[in-house]
Amino acid sequence: MVGQGSRHAAIIALVIALVAALATWTAPAAAADAKYPNWKGQWNPVLPAAVADKRMSFDPGKPAGPGQQAPLTQEYQKVLNDSLADQGNGGFGNDPTALCYAGGMPRMMTYEAQEYVITPETTYILLGGDDHLRRIITDGRDFPKNLNATYQGYSIGRWIDEDGDGTYDVLEVETRGPFKGPRAYDSTGLPLHLDNDSTFKERFFIDKTDPNLLHDVITVFDRALTRPWTVDKTFRRNADPQPDWPERYCHVTNNRIMLGNEAYLLSADGLLMPTRKDQPPPDLQFFAPAR
Amino acid sequence: MDRIATGVVALARLSALIATLMATLMLSAGGARAADEAKYPATWKGQWTRVVHREVEVQGAFDQTKPWGLGQQAPLTEEYQKVHRQSMEDQKNGGLGNYPTARCLPSGMPRIMTFGYHEYVITPETTYILLSGSDHLRRVFTDGRDWPKNPKPTYGGYSIGKWIDEDGDGTYDVLEAETRYFKGPRAFDASGLPLAFDNQSIFKERFFIDRNDRNILHVLTTVTDHALTRPWTSDRQYRRTAEKVEQWPETWCQEGNANIVIGKENYFLRADGLLMPAKKNQAPPDLRYFTQAPK
Repeated sequence: MVGQGSRHAAIIALVIALVAALATWTAPAAAADAKYPNWKGQWNPVLPAAVADKRMSFDPGKPAGPGQQAPLTQEYQKVLNDSLADQGNGGFGNDPTALCYAGGMPRMMTYEAQEYVITPETTYILLGGDDHLRRIITDGRDFPKNLNATYQGYSIGRWIDEDGDGTYDVLEVETRGPFKGPRAYDSTGLPLHLDNDSTFKERFFIDKTDPNLLHDVITVFDRALTRPWTVDKTFRRNADPQPDWPERYCHVTNNRIMLGNEAYLLSADGLLMPTRKDQPPPDLQFFAPAR
Repeated sequence: MDRIATGVVALARLSALIATLMATLMLSAGGARAADEAKYPATWKGQWTRVVHREVEVQGAFDQTKPWGLGQQAPLTEEYQKVHRQSMEDQKNGGLGNYPTARCLPSGMPRIMTFGYHEYVITPETTYILLSGSDHLRRVFTDGRDWPKNPKPTYGGYSIGKWIDEDGDGTYDVLEAETRYFKGPRAFDASGLPLAFDNQSIFKERFFIDRNDRNILHVLTTVTDHALTRPWTSDRQYRRTAEKVEQWPETWCQEGNANIVIGKENYFLRADGLLMPAKKNQAPPDLRYFTQAPK
């Protein structure tokens, strides 16, 4: 009987060992995956009710343009003033997105319907605006040399488990150029420096008291500023588990065109219209005179 | 008694074993999830671009093995053959024809899958196809959902997919997707080869890696559209970039776009911003809203 009991014990021990081995085999992958947080869903920018100006701005807690109180150098304060004056006169000012150019960094982070797709190598931020997406590389690489200039820059990130609970909770990101430009923080033409040499440092994390609130604390280093400018942008998770993902293409609705140095509008019937009183029509020197 | 005692001991050991198994399985709930996630192919990573048969076409045709435009031999209805002919005639005269992308409107399906660099990010709920052209991205939902009740039409359409383990090796190898609910106009290629203006196309796609070359991805695409006399199928192929990808390109149609449409006419914009005719003897734009006479 003892012999049979030993055989049973041996079989049981073997099965346990096999199960343990199987668990050990799958555990590292599971553990690695488990370290990344659940930021699934659709995130939309939080616009404080107290701010009457609903134009998207870099600091959502303040009105766009001068209301942002950006620490601009005198030179770039003038660029903003000129942009506002031009817009007051019907022009597009220093707002390249008015003509369907890219928003780039940091304006692309004001767009709605954001989605965070997290993989160990890359965190993708899919955007519901004309700027499509950001890739934040988290595979440990350094900034490559000889990058091509882009509006969004090149982003390298690092996941941090700040509270030591085994799950990452903060994504730290640095985004460098060379950038393309011009870029503006908002539709007033609040400018970034024309040297396109900005650097952005961001900390993405879920609010400690609200799992449906995502923070993106962005600090901008840019020569148009007298000091680094930090803003806490927040995004709320859409409660709908199957949200509508909007498709936005600037050209579908854009009715603004630039001919030479003059801004014009297209009427609903597609005809050219002035943007200001007594604006001269475009130069038509390349067309044969009407007979 | 001995036999009973042995039975009790064996039962106790069996219970312990079951408990251990259950505990192990519970502890490795992440492991089960990982095992489930391991079913999704890890071999689709990287950067994919359309295979170009240069001797045949470089213009981004739907069927990569045939020349673009008429050479596609698309099974168009008579009505849409006329649309296509008119498009090509207009283009010959300097017009843009039935080719909305020329003015930076999105291509939409199926042309969305033609240009630029593609990346597949696969999660159990969604397969994302990230595009580097002017069209943004595709979400192929694989979470078992049904079609939405009131979908907003888009150029990219709404895609629902299903992963299949065809060879039974425990890993999915085929993604089947169906795409509906469109905006338009859309064209198959730059000649203006049209899709029906009712925008009721349906696309069925089978995505899979080539069995003999793991760096070739097939997207077997069948279009059902009222501009066609029958469903039209093309085996669209993409090659994986061999080099390590340091930087993904960023494409903006507006950069370098010299086409401007005013009223029903398209014009060219010179580098100095002056308007130029696109067609011989083209009339200038209607300036009725201006009070001053043109120069």
